[in-house]
Amino acid sequence: MTDFSRLGLNWLAAGGEGGKHAPLPVEGMLGYVAIVLVLLFGTMSIAKKDFGNRVFKNWFAQCYEQIYLFIQNLCVGIIGPHGRKYVPMIMTFWLMIFVSNLVSLFFPTAPTGDLAWNLAMALCAVMYVQWEGMRSNGFLGHFGHFAGPKLPIALIPITLMIFVIELISELMKNVSLSLRLYGNIDGGHQAVEAMNKLGGNLVPVGMFLMPIKLLTCVVQALIFCLLTCVYISLVTHHHEDHGDDHHGHDPATAH
Amino acid sequence: MEVVGLGLAALGVGIGLGLIGYGAMQGMARQPEAIGKLQTAMLIALAFVELVFLLTVFVAPGSFIVRPR
Repeated sequence: MTDFSRLGLNWLAAGGEGGKHAPLPVEGMLGYVAIVLVLLFGTMSIAKKDFGNRVFKNWFAQCYEQIYLFIQNLCVGIIGPHGRKYVPMIMTFWLMIFVSNLVSLFFPTAPTGDLAWNLAMALCAVMYVQWEGMRSNGFLGHFGHFAGPKLPIALIPITLMIFVIELISELMKNVSLSLRLYGNIDGGHQAVEAMNKLGGNLVPVGMFLMPIKLLTCVVQALIFCLLTCVYISLVTHHHEDHGDDHHGHDPATAH
Repeated sequence: MEVVGLGLAALGVGIGLGLIGYGAMQGMARQPEAIGKLQTAMLIALAFVELVFLLTVFVAPGSFIVRPR
């Protein structure tokens, strides 16, 4: 069907190898996860050799330093001064999503091109947000957060309604995070395939979509991390607003 | 007819994205020192608008478009 593959030129298909849109078997997806993990841990192990030096001369170490600074600025800018605590989680999400988006440029699919993986990652993000909310506001405080502002006792039905709506929106966060990533990556693949058909499967017109797919890669990884940061800031924000004594307590624990 | 619906969804989302970009660009031009904050807010808004089209695309095949297997 695809003439590139008959000629052994699969790489010309720009990631959209013909007709592989059936859900992957588990081994297949684990293979792609393995590709991503090998890339990540390989570059990290090269970068780690340079971490003792005062000036990073290794290319990978410099790259990781820049990524770290970027994520740190993102966290501190959105969450606030206590945002540095959340850098490891956001950094994990960024690296995983970005590298597997890059893998999706050159392979028929990638972990982020599969809805199951995205759903799992979004569940991790949302559950982490809940956990952090409980840690900073207390269990009851976190769930009281959902009930909106304090209303007089006669307006309990409204508080209940707000609670239910907030719970639903909390659940929809998961869906929106995962579907957005999946739709962008898999949609890119389908667009490339359609463009390849346009060229009669002989001229790889889909290659021209590569720059915009690269842009999508960066933007989607950024948006996932950004939204996770926003959710964390929403959940941990009241911590600072309520009591000044807590605010004074924060730098002490940060040491 | 179904494809027309998808096109309409794309049209609406295109207009929405354009409006966001327009607003953000104007804000950035007026206040270049606020570019960082504006970009963050713009990206969040873009993500929310884009999600509408993605939801359309994902909900549509289940309801009326017969997908070739």
